[in-house]
Parts: sequence; C-alpha cells; structure tokens
Amino acid sequence: MNIVACVKQVPDTEALIKVKPDGSGIEEGGIKWVMNPYDEFGVEEALKLKEKLGGEVTVVSVGPARTMETIRTALAMGAEKGIHIDDPALYNADAYTTANALAAAIKEIPYDIIFCGQRAIDGDMGQVGSILAELLDIPQCTIVTKLDVGDGKATAVKPIEGAQLVLETSLPCVITAQKGLNEPRYASLPGIMKAKKKPVDVKNAAALGISVEPKAKIEKMTPPPARPPGKIIEGEDPAAKAAEVIRLLREEAKVI
Amino acid sequence: MAETFISERNLKFLLYEVFTITDLTGYPYYEDHSQEVFDMVLDAAMKLSKDLLLPVFEEMDKNQPEFVDGQIKVHPRVGEFMRAAGEGGWINANYSYDAGGQQLPLTVTLAAHFIFSAANYSASVYPLLTSGAARLIESFGTEEMKEKYFARMFSGEWQGTMAMTEPQAGSSLSDITTLAEPTDNGYYNMKGQKIFISAADHDGVDNVIHLMLAKIKDAPPGVRGISLFVVPKQRIDENGKLEFNDVHVSGIYHKLGYRGSPIVQLSLGDNGDCRGYLVGEPHKGLTYMFQLMNEARIDVGLGAAAIASAAYYAALEYTRVRPQGRRLTDKDPTLPQVPIIEHADVKRMLLFQRSIIEGSLSLLFQCSQYADYEKVLTGEERKRYSLLLDLLTPVAKSYPSEMAILSVSQGLQCLGGYGYCDEFPLEQYYRDVRIHPIHEGTTGIHGITLLGRNITMQKGRAYKVYLEEVHKTIQSAGEYPALQSQTRELGEALDVLNDVTQHLVGFAQEGKVGLFLADSTLYLELFGIICVAWQWLKQAITIRKALEHNLSGAEADFYNGKNYAFRYFFDYELPKISGLAKTLKKSSGITLAMTDHLFTD
Repeated sequence: MNIVACVKQVPDTEALIKVKPDGSGIEEGGIKWVMNPYDEFGVEEALKLKEKLGGEVTVVSVGPARTMETIRTALAMGAEKGIHIDDPALYNADAYTTANALAAAIKEIPYDIIFCGQRAIDGDMGQVGSILAELLDIPQCTIVTKLDVGDGKATAVKPIEGAQLVLETSLPCVITAQKGLNEPRYASLPGIMKAKKKPVDVKNAAALGISVEPKAKIEKMTPPPARPPGKIIEGEDPAAKAAEVIRLLREEAKVI
Repeated sequence: MAETFISERNLKFLLYEVFTITDLTGYPYYEDHSQEVFDMVLDAAMKLSKDLLLPVFEEMDKNQPEFVDGQIKVHPRVGEFMRAAGEGGWINANYSYDAGGQQLPLTVTLAAHFIFSAANYSASVYPLLTSGAARLIESFGTEEMKEKYFARMFSGEWQGTMAMTEPQAGSSLSDITTLAEPTDNGYYNMKGQKIFISAADHDGVDNVIHLMLAKIKDAPPGVRGISLFVVPKQRIDENGKLEFNDVHVSGIYHKLGYRGSPIVQLSLGDNGDCRGYLVGEPHKGLTYMFQLMNEARIDVGLGAAAIASAAYYAALEYTRVRPQGRRLTDKDPTLPQVPIIEHADVKRMLLFQRSIIEGSLSLLFQCSQYADYEKVLTGEERKRYSLLLDLLTPVAKSYPSEMAILSVSQGLQCLGGYGYCDEFPLEQYYRDVRIHPIHEGTTGIHGITLLGRNITMQKGRAYKVYLEEVHKTIQSAGEYPALQSQTRELGEALDVLNDVTQHLVGFAQEGKVGLFLADSTLYLELFGIICVAWQWLKQAITIRKALEHNLSGAEADFYNGKNYAFRYFFDYELPKISGLAKTLKKSSGITLAMTDHLFTD
C-alpha cells in the first residue's frame, strides 16, 4: 500500500510568539519548531496502516530548510521516504497554494491513502486537507477519530455535535486526523540513526510546475489586545463584598 | 507547575559551541552521527520527558513505593517509562553497535539524562541503573551472560541494579559479609543481606538482575577478597523458564525525598537456594564495580544539576509574576508593587543558581568529553584524557551535589513562604536534591579520594596535566581584553591551589596522614570552586566570540545573560577560596584533637 502523510512544521505550543513590528508575520528567532501535533496523529496512523497491510509511507512537507528536521522526525518514527517542497515563494503560502504544491508532488508518486492533520496549530485554517482532496479529485473524510482500511475501502468515524458519523469511502482518499485517532509513537534512537540515511527529495515550485500566486494574503498580524487588569474588592464584610461584585457585574461588565 | 525545567539553548551552547562535540564524528566510531542526529536525540528526550515524566513528578512523590505482599509496588508510570526507554533504545544508547546500541557519545547521552532527571529525577534513575548494571556484564561478563540478560534488560522488561551496601558496610565496602559458596554446578550459593539498593525490586518490571558484591568463601580479607556476581531475582532454568532465585525483599526505606524510586533491603538465600554467577575473575569485584561507579558518579552530579535547573526555572517563573514592594528609589507608597525580580537581592539569588547549574553542567560535559575521546584515541593522548577523567570524577560528582542543595535552597527562598509549602514544587526539589552528596560515595569519601589518591597518583601526574589544561584556557582567554580580570583571577586561584596542595602533600611526605587528610572535604570544596571557575572562563571565551557578531533579540539576550552568570561566579563564588585556603593552610588539627566524650554537652 502506498501511504502519504503530509506534515507541517509549526512553533512549539510553549514558544513565546511575538508579532513583527511591521505586522508582516511572527518573529522566528528563538522559536522551537516541532511537527504539527495533528499531523503526528496522521503519521502514526500511516505507520500503523503500513504495519498492518504492508507498503510504505512517504512524508511530504512544504517549508524552508528547517522543515527537514520535521521530515526526519517522521522518518525516525518509521516512514520510508520524504519529499521536501522548499521554495521561498511558498514559505508563507495560503492554504490553497500549499495544498496545490502538495497535490503536485503527490501526483508524481503512487498513492492509495493520504493523511493530513485536521488543522495546523499555527495558522489554524483547517483547509489544506480538504483542498488537497479536491485538487486530486478524490474523496475525503475529515476530523477522523477512528479508521479501518481494508478491501479497497476506508471506514472512518467523525465526531459531530451530540453524535458521530461513520463514513465509508473508496480509495484513494484523504483522511484528516483528529486527536483521539491514536497515540503517536516516539522517535526511537535506532529510528533516528536510520532516518539519516532515508531518501528525501527536495523540490521547488518550478520543478513541480505550479503557480505560487496566493488566493489569500495576510495583510497584517496584530497581537490580541492586552487583558485589562483584574480588580480586587477590599473589605471585611462578605455580604458587602458580594453586593459590590453584583453591582460591578451589572454596571461595569454589564453581563447581568 | 513551571513548564520549563531546562534550557535547551544552554545545552546546545555547551554541546556544540563550547565542547564542539560534532568533532567526534570525525572518528570512525562516531562517524554515523551528526549535529542533526544529536538534535533529534535531544528533541526525543524532551518529548518523552514532557509526556511521561513531568506530569507525574509530584504524584510519584506523594504516592511513594510500598512493600505489599512480598513485593514493592511503584507508580504505574515506572513500568511505562521503562518500556518506552527500552523501545526508544535509551537504555543501551551509548553501547556499541555490536551490543545493540547506537554508539551515541556519552556527552549526548548525558545531555538526554539531564533532561530526564530535570523532569522527574526519581523516574529517570530506573533505566539508568539497568544501563549501568548491563555495562558490567558487557565489560567483564561472559557471552552466555550477555545472551541471557541483555535483550530483556535493554528492552526495559528487566531492571538492573548495583548491590553493594550492607548493614555494616556502607562507605567501608571491605567489610561486606555476603557469602558466595562455590558449587560444582558453575554457580555460587549466595547468602547475606543488602541494604539501600535502588530499584532492587518493583512491579514495573518482570525481573531484577542484581550486580552484586560478595565474598567467596575463604577469600582474603579486605577489598582484595571481594568478587562480583550476577544474582537475578528470578533465574532462568534449563528450559528457559523463570524460577524464583531465593532473593527476598525484607524491607523498604521511606526517604526524605527522591521518593519515586524505592530503596530496598534484600535478603539472599533464606532457603539456601540463591544462585550467583561470578562475573570476571574472583576477587576483582571492587575494581570492576569502580568502573560502573565512576560513570554513575558523573550521573549523580548531573542529577543534582538537573534538579537545580528545574528548581531555578520554577523560581524564575515565580519572581516574574509575584509583585512585592517597590524599587528602593520609588518613595511613593501608592505606586503599584513591582515583580520581585526587580529587586537586586532576588536577582542575586537567581544569578547564584545559574552560575552553579551552568558551571556544574559544563564541568560534567568536560568529563564526559574526556570519556568520549578516551574511547577513540590511543597512546599518550588517551592516557592524558584517562588521567583527567580519573582526577576530576570526584569533583564532578561532589561539587554539583553539594552546591545544588544551596542552589535549590535559594530557589525556594525566592518564593518566600510559598517555597516552603507543597503547592509549589520547590520543597520537593529541596528534598529530592539532598540525596546526591550521599549516594555513590559521600562527599567525605570523595575528598579523601581526591587528595589522598588522585592528587598524588603517578607522582602527581594527573594534577600536573590538569594544571596544563587550565593554563590552556587561561592563555586563550588572555586574547580577550574583556576577560582580563577574570583571566588574572583564575591564574591567582591556581597559585592558591598549588600553595595549599603543596602544604598538604607535605604532611603526607612527613608521614602525618591524619593532618594530610583531616580536612580533605574542604580541599575538595576549594578544588571544586576553582575547577568550575575554569569552566566558566572556558564558556566566557565562547560567549565573547558570539558577542563579536552583531546579535539581536533572543540570541543577544542569551549570551548577555550568560555573561552575567559568568561574571557573577568570578565576583561572588571564586573569592570564597580565600577563606578555605586560610583554614587549610592553618591545619590546626582540631578535628583530630577533639574526642568523643568532649562532644557530650
């Protein structure tokens, strides 16, 4: 089985994010970069599927040189090979352009199933997986928490409000992974040593023959407004303090 | 609880910039490695620590191991972590490819241990103990032993221990009485008691393999009569099945801190059926065990620095958010209070911690670097590194162990009353860190080892080589005008060290062994401060080189922050040697003269 896992390198959730003074993006100095956690679920599911049905896993990512660390991490977890789409015109690409680049690279290789994270924790768009499926003209099951693959079809469970959908689709298809799908394995030391020797193709937009013209552009980033300071109500009498809380909620916060 | 427990930036600064460990990859033994591999190893260690170790740091302290129905029950995470460490290849990471390992340099292995230990010291020791025990089998055991034990020790299914201490023989190992009686069947019948054995029994593994010191019947007295044995809790019978080997748990100790790891009392051969398998030659057990203990000692120093690191970050977080008081220059009491990190004395406490932690870590990596080069070099070069490693091991164990207690104490102090309460982790760090000057040889023993053995061995050759190394750093630092005063101060400190050393060795030459060694712990302290000053000057050279570039943002902050920690050490810590030198030179002998009955009232 030919399995593809798309991964994105994102800032660690603990990284202190600062917006550049000109609002064009975030300050990247001092940030620790990690694999998008939802993509980890995708990689893990890809590896489990390979272990069950045989075949190989190819990891595909779009990003600058440092993205290679994330591809190597997926290889250390057990994927066989990687494709690194490295083109400065794509570094801050929108969801469509990213999906288009991924689709172009994936079209060149055989694939039966493609995994993406249901969203990336940086831009939080949640669109790449779906656009990718459209561009490849294959079915998609999004936000999946349980998956069975066999007999040329996939059965996926997708939670919705108050219920869950059970979806069945033919292959090939795109699956976007949600938390709960699995517990991603850790990269092992023997895996890390092996990852170094696994092949990674590096391609740019010209090699893929794609347009890098975005459909959407980030005009400006601004940090959220600072939270106003809290207020401590002084006093000895609890009843009076409670009354003051109610007055403030009514008159200042206007919530009751 | 603070999310940050170590500085990855500082680890990489030490590994790649100060100790340039990627140079090792030029040697065939390490040629498969690269900085990319090392980075991934550190990332993997961080991930394991954050997912498995840190979340149960407090829980493992509150629910300590208990002795129930003949077995020690530990926190369920212990077994999970052992298995994860096994599957991840951590237990035999720095073993050779032949032994199933990854030939990872010890320095990188230690960096990973530092991460694990800072996240949760108690949990971190289980795989480490197994790794050490298996190392003895690798070095001195038979092929059959490797075949029998390696796979399941490295997979984390079986625990390894080192079983030395007995009720009457702690620091004085020559007094052990556990008896090994030869049989005609290729094994020895073991009988005796062992105490204070770390992880000697627990339900997180299927079996425990003790590497145990004992005396063969009719062996010569003293250290020359001690042999090393493999004593499994469950031995493997002819059919490959496990059968009980008459190794009983007779008790568990409840400790001040470091509570997630059981310290166990064992009783061997109560039913006359405990089999031990001799490792190497008879009567050489202590020599063998010292190989393991020297590695373990570096790990103990590292564990101390790691706990201090976690405590520092917990304290730092608090000092940034806790408003108390106003700047001394602000007279207006209606002004809002400032975070306590604004106060000079609080910054002093934080700088003290950093100077201890980062100075200690540098010394530990210096030692592991010697060990890594020892492995790939030959001839005179190799001998040089062996001597340096031998000389500095007691210092690398004791300085971090003793100073981490003070460092964590200052971290706790930053939190005031809250530091003393269990809502914050500082009180646990304070309890956890107290073990380190005790296990793997007390500070007192290491003082005697340094002065009584290492300084004088081979007519002072190791000491001479050490001075040459420090002088090399002094020479390099001399090229930087900004380091002028610290370079001079380290040179002067070496003069003090030489003066004191000659004075004390003089007693040895006169046969006054009592006066020679009475204050060897103080000598170790003096030696340690100068040694860490050397490490700071070494780091300062790298800091200066970096600051020559036009840095900005987080990178500039990193080097400037480190530069203050460096200057702090020279201004506040190094001067402490004057008092120590004065006491040592005086050699008043009052600890020799004072007698038991004078202590009564």
